[in-house]
This record gives sequence, structure tokens and C-alpha cells, in this order.
Amino acid sequence: MLRLGIDVGDTNTDAVLVDESRVVAAASVATTPDINGGILRAITGLRTGPGFEHSQVAAVMIGTTHFSNALAEGTDLAQTAAIRFGLPATSAFPPLVDWPEGLRRAIGGHGYLCHGGNEYDGSRIDDFDEREVREAVGRALDAGARSFAISAVFSPVDAEFELRAAQIVSEVAPGAPISLSHEIGRMGLLGRENATIINAALRELAETVTTGLVRTVTEAGIRAPVFLSQNDGTLMDVDYARRYPVATFASGPTNSMRGAAFLSHQLDCAVIDVGGTTTHVGILQNGFPRGASADVRVADVQTNFRMPDVVSIGIGGGSHVSGDRPPRVGPDNVGYHLTERALVYGGDQLTATDLAVAAGLADIGDRRRVAHLDPAFVRAALDEVAVRLAEMVDRMRITADPLPVVAVGGASVLVPHQLEGASSVTRPEHFAVANAIGAAIAEVGGEVDRVYSVAPGRRDRVLDDARQEAIDRAVAAGAKPGSVRVIDLEEVPLAYLPGNATRIRVKAIGELSLGGDAHA
Amino acid sequence: MPDPLRTITAERVAALAAGATLLGSGGGGPVALGELLLRRALPRRGVIVRRARDLPLQAMVVHVGVFGAPDVLAERLINPADMAAAARAVVEQVGGELAAVGALEIGGLNALAAVLAAHELDLPIIDGDLMGRAFPSVYKTTMSVAGHPAAPVALVGPGGDTVVVPTCSDRLVGGLLDSAAAALGGLAALAIYPTSAATLASVGVPGTLSSCVSLGEAFLSAPAGDIPVLADRLGGSFIFQGRVDELRPREADAPGSVTLTGAGGSVARIDLLEEFLAVTVNGITLARTPDVIVVLSSTSGAVVGTAQVRLGQALGIVALPALHTWPPGSDAVVGPAAFGLDLDVVTR
Repeated sequence: MLRLGIDVGDTNTDAVLVDESRVVAAASVATTPDINGGILRAITGLRTGPGFEHSQVAAVMIGTTHFSNALAEGTDLAQTAAIRFGLPATSAFPPLVDWPEGLRRAIGGHGYLCHGGNEYDGSRIDDFDEREVREAVGRALDAGARSFAISAVFSPVDAEFELRAAQIVSEVAPGAPISLSHEIGRMGLLGRENATIINAALRELAETVTTGLVRTVTEAGIRAPVFLSQNDGTLMDVDYARRYPVATFASGPTNSMRGAAFLSHQLDCAVIDVGGTTTHVGILQNGFPRGASADVRVADVQTNFRMPDVVSIGIGGGSHVSGDRPPRVGPDNVGYHLTERALVYGGDQLTATDLAVAAGLADIGDRRRVAHLDPAFVRAALDEVAVRLAEMVDRMRITADPLPVVAVGGASVLVPHQLEGASSVTRPEHFAVANAIGAAIAEVGGEVDRVYSVAPGRRDRVLDDARQEAIDRAVAAGAKPGSVRVIDLEEVPLAYLPGNATRIRVKAIGELSLGGDAHA
Repeated sequence: MPDPLRTITAERVAALAAGATLLGSGGGGPVALGELLLRRALPRRGVIVRRARDLPLQAMVVHVGVFGAPDVLAERLINPADMAAAARAVVEQVGGELAAVGALEIGGLNALAAVLAAHELDLPIIDGDLMGRAFPSVYKTTMSVAGHPAAPVALVGPGGDTVVVPTCSDRLVGGLLDSAAAALGGLAALAIYPTSAATLASVGVPGTLSSCVSLGEAFLSAPAGDIPVLADRLGGSFIFQGRVDELRPREADAPGSVTLTGAGGSVARIDLLEEFLAVTVNGITLARTPDVIVVLSSTSGAVVGTAQVRLGQALGIVALPALHTWPPGSDAVVGPAAFGLDLDVVTR
């Protein structure tokens, strides 16, 4: 049974075949604008390695930046109605209040406030007013909205308002995509609502993209279920991704770090991922990326997703190298055009890749084209890169103790064998495709983040319910029932509130259910 | 002392928010909510800043903010109109005309909430507050320590539901407001400590709005990532840098703690309730309430609140001196013992 991992990056599309704990084949091709062409060529590229039977592929895992790019560029977004239940509260902050103007315009800017939502104890802020809701939905449709984002105050405590509104939308506008905040975000109205609106705006694109992915995999001759990577490094099946495209955001850094752990067998280390234009540094703790503490902004919109703690710098294989003394590397770069612009490919721009070839660290392109470079200059420029990478590792480090470093990514030859502050520097085999490997080896997760009223003597029962719900969610997302375990449980009593209101957050993960019917 | 502020304009909002976050000592509520509303409101009209001693002696000042649970704030948000309504309800009790709005606490959301209330009422804001930081109880103020009553107090909910307490002892004010706020869904706009400019000039904490903005400016202009340098720029002291090894949650009113391990195996413990209360390094307490304790992410440089601390995080700790000297005997109200902490030797 093989797992096929695919990472669709901004420049490269990588594919790997993983058999239990071994990488069987790997391929890397240029990303195509429609992403499917690149995926098809990458899968085809795998066949040039040791042959594999398509029937042996049990699952296909895909990590893609396509959705976050669409949001960042404001393209392919659906006209979206944001309907919130909160009046008479929350009126000072109407939906979309903190969105950048351009993005708000790109999704139509349709925000509607209705009465209702809940208090922390589940009682209603105001009653559900069906006429008001029908009027808001009608106005949204008249204004051209095609996708609906519905949020309500304290919907993680009680989702009744969101569910009743969804019922009305599905009656009035059958088939229109509906995104509900209690299914998407955490506590914190604006962050949860924003994530829901982003999700709604991506639903039409998600339909096209997921259909295209499934078709492409089938065209490549593979009959196996397709999964997408989520921001926490777990997988979702393609039907789930169709409904929750926002969950694909920021899966890239998580995948590359998980892939680095898998390849290097290091569970506690710094990971340096050097790509074409940017280097990311993150920390693995017990095999999982260390999480960031603050709320994360996505395309300048505040959300309450939890993302890995990563620092980034504009150094990559395509970085410009200036002739100054001392030399400067990046942040300007040749972007997509490395194979036209770099000296070793016959271009006229001195890049970091040319330095690596001149120093004998890499053998790509035509090394005679960099033979004229002064070795002292090359050395000085590479030293400059090493110093700046060491500074980044130093920023991420907690103690003064040296730390093992694992280097991955296509341009990780730029990471020297010895780095200030590193106890070792490892560049594992298949370093260039760590991202795709991280996707291939991922598990399936389920999460609950909700406020419960914990009556005296009922705490164990409530915790059990929350655990069970997280486990059920993992199974619903495609985990093998017996393999699911709770990896994180947080229980925080709400401050200053009576009634033992307690926020409980549970995360469960399990092995991907491969069913054994892939070759049926 | 920084030059006193004359007005708060849109350009000052980022610094005001950053300063209020620092002075929140890890608590004080979601400053971003106030920042967002101020960014929208202030371009139309700035807010005039006045010192209490520059106002006529009998001019009335009411302290305005929000009161309640941070988790409810994050869902039900705030509304300047409710704060204005609370101020009017208190003025109605006292009789007379409101001259200016004061900040109850300069740490956290309430620093910005007071400016929003002043904007909504089209009145000046006082350059000062009653805590010199953020505290979780409304009576931990210089006014209470000096024997001035908190009442008349008003709480207003989002539907206009209003609770007015004409008279109340310090002993009961916290419990009364907690019960009333709970009935209003756990959160309400608050108006409290109506007083004269003359009284405020003698017992308020003067100049803290100016200090807050200049702290914020220093924070925003400091280079990212170097916490010892930042501590210096803020006029504070760098205390510790390390990784979170253990989180012990609070239990009801008993403080919880965060334990960090740093270079060479040194260990720091931060005691906390809603705010960070004290830092003890290798057994020696280096900072304690009412000092302001700022915890920052070593990687992003962002300020980390008590609710944002996670296992494995890399954090730095900076102590800022309290913005004013509390009179002798205040320790029972604002010192470690007031929060149930039994700290042995304090060495500074």
C-alpha cells in the first residue's frame, strides 16, 4: 500500500510515493496556473523512477496554496453575503468591518445584522425573527450574493440561530453554498466570522478545484481517494475540502516540518526550509511544529486559526546576489524565472543558485558559466547567507544550548554543513520534496472548541462528551475508528462568570482509514 | 515624564493601543476591539486631552469603561453608545453637568474604551487614570485607597438595560457589579467614580494617557526580536528569557503559574490570575504587582497575554515600574497578598 503525496507550491509541484516509512519515488515539475497540468506531469514523472502499480496507491494527499493565493489576489471569489445574529449587541462592529477595502469589494461587501444569537449560558440575546432573516436573505440575493456566511454570537455554545438561518437560505436559494461559523472557527466572534466569510467566498472555487483534482488523479490512472492538507497538518477528504476550503490555509510550513521530521528521524530540532524566494525556519517539538501564540491574519484579515510559529526571510535559490563587498543576497529574486535568468542557465542575473554551483555545492545548469566568479567573492556571499540563517535559528531558539538543524527545500544546499549555534546540520535524502512527504504521511484530525456549562459533579461526563465529539469528528473526516486518540485537551473556566461556564478544547487524531478497497 | 498629550488623533491610535497592551500586564481585555473602533471614529474628530488640574475645581469627571468577562467581550463586543448611556445614568444621579471622561484603568481595553466614550459624548478625556495599570477589580484604585466611594455606579447592557447603584461600600461593590453584569450576560458598559476635578487632581494617577502613548511609541519603534534592548527603550528591566515548560491553571481565585526554563537551567515562575502578578527567578522575586509585567514572544516580539501562553513557547519577560507610587498601606489592595500570593523575599 502506497501513499502518494503532492505539494503544489507557487513555483514547483512535487510528488512522492511513500511506502510505510520509505520514500519509493519522487518527482518535481513546474507548477502550472491551473495546478492540474503540473500535478498530472508530476505523477507521470514518478513512473520514470522504479515502477509502481497504480492499484497499489491507497490514497492521494495534496497540499496546495491555491486557495490562500486566490484570497491574497482577490481572484475567483464568490459574491458573499455575511449574515450575523447579534442585535442589539455587536452593532458597532458590522460584518466585514475590519476587512481591507479591496478584498471587501472583491466579495461584494454584503453584510447583514439580525437580532438574536446567544449568551454565554445558552440563553437568547433576542428571539429569532424569521421575517427579518428572510428579508436579509432576499436583499442579499437581489444584491448578487451567491454564497452565504452565517455567524451568531456564542454559536459555539448553541448553534440554533445559524442552523435555523441555514434552513431558510436553503429554502429560498436552493443549492447556494452555506458556511456556518460554529463549524469553522473558534471562540471570538470577529475571527470566527471572518474565517467563515473567507470560506464562503472560496466555495465556488473549491467546487472547481476539488473536481479538477479528482479528475486529474483519475486521468493519471489512479483510483484512490483524494485528501487535502489542513493548516494543522492533518488531512480532510475531498468532500470535506469542498465545503471547508479555508482549512487548507498555511498547510505548507506544517507539511515541510513534518516531512523533515519523517526524513531525518529528528523529533526535536529546528527546520530550515529554503525555497525559490523565501526561507522559513520553524521548530519541531516531539515531531510537531511549535504553534504561534497570537491570532493570525490571512490576507490582512484577522482570523482565529492556529498556525505554526515560523519566521521567514527573503533568501532562496532565486535570490539576486549583488556585487557589493560584502555581497548582499536577496530579498530581490528572479521568481519563477530561475531557469531563464540564472547564470548557470544562460541568463544574466547572478543568483544564489549560481553561488551554490560555483562553490561545488550543486551541479545544475552549466557550471562553466560561473567559472569566472572570484572564489573569495563566492565564499563571502555564502558566508553572508550562513550568518543570516544562523540569526533566524537563534531567534527561534529558547535556550543557549546548541540545537540540531534539519535543512529541507529545493535550495537547501545553501545551508552550510556547520552553522553557528547548531549541534548538527542534516540534509536528509529527498530534502527537496519534504513538503510532499509531509502531506503523504499526515493523519486525520477532529477538534472541538466550545463553552460548556459544567454542573457540579458532571465534569467527567462533560469532558467525556467533548472527547467523544472530537473523536467522532476525526472519524467523520476519514480517520480509522480504532486508531483515533486525543492528543490535546484544554479546560479553561471562563473568568468572572457564574454557572461554571468552561471552555473545553479537544483535539483528536488518527490514522487515515485506507479501507483496503482501493483496489476493489 | 513625556510631553503631555493635547489631543488623541487617528495617528496616535496604534501607539495608544500598544501602550495599553503593555500596561495590561498580560490582561486587561482585547485592546484590538477598541483600536478598531478608534480608527474608524477619530478621523472624523479627535478627542481633546485635559489634565485634571487644568479643569475648574468643581468640574465633574466620570470614569467610563467596560466591565465583565473577557470571553464575553470576544463574542458580544463593545459599543460606545452603551458607555455614553452609562455615563449619563451616573450624571443623572449626581446632578450637574459632565465636564470630562476619565479612564478607570490605563492598562488594556479600558484605556481605549474611555477615549471612545469621550468621543461619543464629545467631551475631553483626562490625562490620567485610577490604577496606573490594569487590575481585575474595580475598587483597586487610588480613589478607593484615598477613601472615595465608587458609587454612584451604572451598568448598561446592549439592549439599553440599565442598573444604577446609588450608594455602595467598597466591600460590596465588586460582588454587586459581578452579579449585575452576570444578569446582563456577563458584560456591560460601566460608569463609576464620579468625582470633581479637584479631587481627581489630588488622588488620581496623573499623566498616564501621555505615558501610555509614549510607551507605545517606544515599543513600536524598537527593533523586533531583541527583548533586552526593548526593555531598555521602555525604561523597564529585562528579567528572563526561556521556554514554557509547565502551565498550572488558576483554580477559582487561587493564582496559577507558568514555569519557564532558560539558559543554563535557570528557572522562572510567573504567577498569574487575569494579569501576570509576579516573576520569581531561581527563587528570588524580581517583580511583583503593582509593577507591570510584560511577557513577549521571543520569535515575533508580540506581547503575549495570560490566556495566550502555551507549552513550548519561547518567551521573554520585562518588568516596567508602576506608573506612580502607591501610598503606604496600599499593598493590602494592590500588592501580591491582595491576590493570594505569599512571596517571601522581594529583591530589587
